[in-house]
Amino acid sequence: MRYRIVLGFFTFVFAVIVLRLFYWQVVKAEELSKLGQIQYGTSIKIEPVRGEIETSDGFPIVANKISYLLFVNPKEVKDKVNTAKFLAENLEIDRNFLENQISQDLFWVPVKSGIGPDLKKQIEAKNILGVGFEQQFERFYPEASMAANLLGFVGKDEAGNSKGYSGVEGYYDRLLRGKTGAAIQIHDALGRPILARANGDDSFGTDGKSLILNVDRSVQFLAEKKLKEGIEKYGARGGMVGIMDPKTGNVLAMATYPSFDPKKYQDYTDDLYKNAFISDLYEPGSTFKPLIMSAAFNEKLLTPQSRCPRCSGPVSVGGYELHTWNDKYYPNTTMLDVIEHSDNTGMIYAAQKLGLAKMVNYLDKYGIGKITGIDLEGETAPLIKPKNEWYAVDLATTGFGQGINVTPVELLTAFSSIANDGIMMEPHVVGKVLDENGKISTIKPKELGRPLSSATSKVMTEVLVNAVEKGEAKFAKIKGYRVAGKTGTASIPVAGHYDPNQTIASFIGFAPASDPKFVMIVIVDRPTSSIYGAETAAPIFFGIAQGLFTYYGISPE
Amino acid sequence: MKKPVLILVILIIIMISLFGVRTVVSNRISTSGVALGVTEDEIKTYKTENALLREKIFGFASFTHVSSIAAEMGFVESKSALAISRSMPIARTQ
Repeated sequence: MRYRIVLGFFTFVFAVIVLRLFYWQVVKAEELSKLGQIQYGTSIKIEPVRGEIETSDGFPIVANKISYLLFVNPKEVKDKVNTAKFLAENLEIDRNFLENQISQDLFWVPVKSGIGPDLKKQIEAKNILGVGFEQQFERFYPEASMAANLLGFVGKDEAGNSKGYSGVEGYYDRLLRGKTGAAIQIHDALGRPILARANGDDSFGTDGKSLILNVDRSVQFLAEKKLKEGIEKYGARGGMVGIMDPKTGNVLAMATYPSFDPKKYQDYTDDLYKNAFISDLYEPGSTFKPLIMSAAFNEKLLTPQSRCPRCSGPVSVGGYELHTWNDKYYPNTTMLDVIEHSDNTGMIYAAQKLGLAKMVNYLDKYGIGKITGIDLEGETAPLIKPKNEWYAVDLATTGFGQGINVTPVELLTAFSSIANDGIMMEPHVVGKVLDENGKISTIKPKELGRPLSSATSKVMTEVLVNAVEKGEAKFAKIKGYRVAGKTGTASIPVAGHYDPNQTIASFIGFAPASDPKFVMIVIVDRPTSSIYGAETAAPIFFGIAQGLFTYYGISPE
Repeated sequence: MKKPVLILVILIIIMISLFGVRTVVSNRISTSGVALGVTEDEIKTYKTENALLREKIFGFASFTHVSSIAAEMGFVESKSALAISRSMPIARTQ
């Protein structure tokens, strides 16, 4: 009996120990593990290196540069007063702040980030005990503010992590930023860091992927240079240039002036660092006429030789009297001449021939009122009114590009269908993605639709070549080259009426007409030397086109 | 009786051999960590140097820099393009 009691007692004690061990080892295992980690180490975040952005010639237009974070270990700093004085002088920060930082009872206190290698060497040469550096990466722009509005910038999110905003940086942020890693920083008994241990297979994170743009650095440089010169020459508030390959939709250049410095983005207002080319709405004016005329040709309602029976004077529509831009009228004019003279009355005739249903249908086919899908953050598009909200005057004014809003990228994309055999391509900025292992993935061109037949696009090309050869911008054309294009001078609506002295002057076109290598739009905002597109935007267009002919080695036709 | 003795002797020899091998291997790799550390430091230094040189090269190769240098050297933009509009004859008959 006594043996049984002793046996029972020990069995009970054993069972209690086993249960207790089960409690600590299994039930409380995770909690204890975390407690242990706090004692011997702390969790640290491993920031991935952000991917770079290269232009199509392989030049990194956005790269990463090494900078340093200066930190101090207050427990090791012997002469705190002199150390604070020295650092304050060299780092240009407040001495009292530094003295406070150095006096803390900590092993690691950050002082200043973004320190360059030269300053680092200078401080290291002093050999101050307790002062150290941690390597960091920050964005570096070898071409300064080139294509800044297209590229966007890198700022911080709410948690203080790097985040891309606007343009390419914003659109491809997840690809560029990579995956943040986490590891355990193990400390010795005195709290000094010894080594870091990963928390799993891939917990050290992965660096961001790099992007190779379709943007050509030479074309971008040329566009920005000519645009800036033009804006200054014509006393305009600003301007934009967009150049695209109509066959692929590849964006070759996108320039905005004034622009901003992506390195100091915080010094600028939102309207300067947003990309106006994809987000600003404007009334396109006469540059819209080729789209409407093409639609009328495509529907076989008109031909270039069709005559306008009501172009001998101002036209009354829905109680409004509509004039031509220069109050010159050409009775019984042909559609070829309507485009050449940029005749509003002829365009009203074409729009009315087309009718509301077909007009709305073609606007939809051209993608007007929808985003183009360009791979840039911040694209906007206005909604096109439903058919039942259109008045007769709306149909008439849309014919000559007033009373309708578009973004420059929308218009350029729609217009490019004339240059590409009637096929409209999706505009695309990034051509290739390069992963951390060097593998390149190519982004294929995407067709958005075919608003026009091949025959219509060819006919319209000839109509536009005629407009350049004989129209208002003929003085600016380049001898020997066949360029298809159209000027535009759109009035700006101000407080319910159009201001006659403030215009958006523009020119849209493509070249060489027989086998287009580029389609381009130039927009000049409120030029003061002349309000007309033919005298402001057209010379900028042809200045850039001249450079492109040389760059691409295109001979005169 | 002989067999267990033989087995014991063989086991002892194996133990001594393994001990010797371990000593030799340990001796060889004992300084590898230090060498590895030095190599890693060297790689890090070269990587940093490469990054700094890369930054300088990009700065010099940028169009912004090249165009300003070209302007300083007196280069000007050509206002007219030269193009051969017709193919040149290889030989002309008299």
